[in-house]
Amino acid sequence: MSKSIVSTAVAGALLVLGSHAAIAAPDWGKVPKRDVNVFHAGVTPVEWMTKKSDHSGTSGMRKGETCIGCHEEKGTLNFNFKRLADKELEPKGAPKTMIFPVSVQAAYDAANLYVRLTFKAPGGGADKGDKDNEVKATLLFADAKVPQANQFGCWQSCHGDARTMPAGNDKKTKYVATGSYELVQWASKGNKVSDGSVGSERKMSGGATGAKAEASKSGDTYTVTFTRKNPGEGKAVPFGVAIHADHASGRFHHVSLGYMLGIGADGEVKAVKQ
Amino acid sequence: MNAEKNGLLAMLRKPSAKYSLLSLLVVGFFSGIFFWGGFNTAMEATNTLEFCIGCHEMRDNVYVEYKKTIHYSNRTGVRAICSDCHVPKDWTHKMIRKIQASKEVWGKITGVIDTPEKFEAHRLQMAESEWARMKANDSRECRNCHSFDSMDVEKQKLRGSKMHKIGIAEKKTCIDCHKGIAHSKPKGMKEEDDE
Repeated sequence: MSKSIVSTAVAGALLVLGSHAAIAAPDWGKVPKRDVNVFHAGVTPVEWMTKKSDHSGTSGMRKGETCIGCHEEKGTLNFNFKRLADKELEPKGAPKTMIFPVSVQAAYDAANLYVRLTFKAPGGGADKGDKDNEVKATLLFADAKVPQANQFGCWQSCHGDARTMPAGNDKKTKYVATGSYELVQWASKGNKVSDGSVGSERKMSGGATGAKAEASKSGDTYTVTFTRKNPGEGKAVPFGVAIHADHASGRFHHVSLGYMLGIGADGEVKAVKQ
Repeated sequence: MNAEKNGLLAMLRKPSAKYSLLSLLVVGFFSGIFFWGGFNTAMEATNTLEFCIGCHEMRDNVYVEYKKTIHYSNRTGVRAICSDCHVPKDWTHKMIRKIQASKEVWGKITGVIDTPEKFEAHRLQMAESEWARMKANDSRECRNCHSFDSMDVEKQKLRGSKMHKIGIAEKKTCIDCHKGIAHSKPKGMKEEDDE
């Protein structure tokens, strides 16, 4: 009898330990993938995007349309890439790859939100400004105060007067007038993780997400898994993805349009409860 | 003088001793057809692509831009030439436009836009004037071929479909959104153009 009590106790203990391990790392095989496409956006800051003579879609935006509502079609982005790669919108010359897919998976538990990105970072970059890092992967999460974040995603932080823009000020970073974004970034050199924010300026540290990241490379494919504080069950958070491929820096990243991440809520990416 | 006047009046009243009124009318009628046809042929000759690009100002600037667009070459092989968009088809408006065009002849003679630099300097003004004309006539020349009535928005691609649905709902006219459809957009477009 004592033997069975002991074995039950041992089994019980193992179960508890085992389930803890399951909470800490989601079974990614069971988490659905949502492909988003990241693209080279050229010189199309929010000032350009909201001017009808530059971007006729402004009419739709004024009616509350989201970027993906018009631009995500048949699993890809229906931009006029000829125009995006042209000297007018990309004075420095376009990268070899204008668009590539990134798989997004998300899961959450009581404490954390886990976001995993899987992608192949292309070479042939147009501006290799970051000598140290071959690849960086960044997520921006908008807070409730950023205006029209559910439509624009990260675009509210992209301005024509920021550094690396043709009319840019070297000292100005991304910024947003109202509200702020949480920033989490993984950089390939030394697997550096940054936990920052974009408010009146972009800060690479001092963020409140407690972000961690794990990354691996298998052949050409990068897998980056971010762990950060769960913003709250029932919330849908506007977010965007940026990949700095081939030593890109500043505006030469490939960016996604705005998507909604639902944590026990609706969204293009629905985080799976663990 | 009196005799001449009488002569004129007399001629009007009794035009010919030799020919009958009927012959005169029939000859006059057919001559009229012939000369009216000739006038019309000459008029339509000024609507051909070849005539328009006879001026290097057009040939070297807007013609080059237009050749890269869908109105020049497309899947169905339907081409719109200069006059299809810039000259009204109905007689009254066409005549008015042709009379206004004499200003362009003067411009050609005085070389207002006869270099690339001068052309670029005037591009915004020329574009705005044409957009204003099209807005005022509810994109009449576009409607020579296109109309919301004959447009099946469900058959269009996503962006076009969504934008045309907004256009229909907001009673927009073609030129409101389709500026730059055939020629390069000028720099310095004002916010009013964004209406």
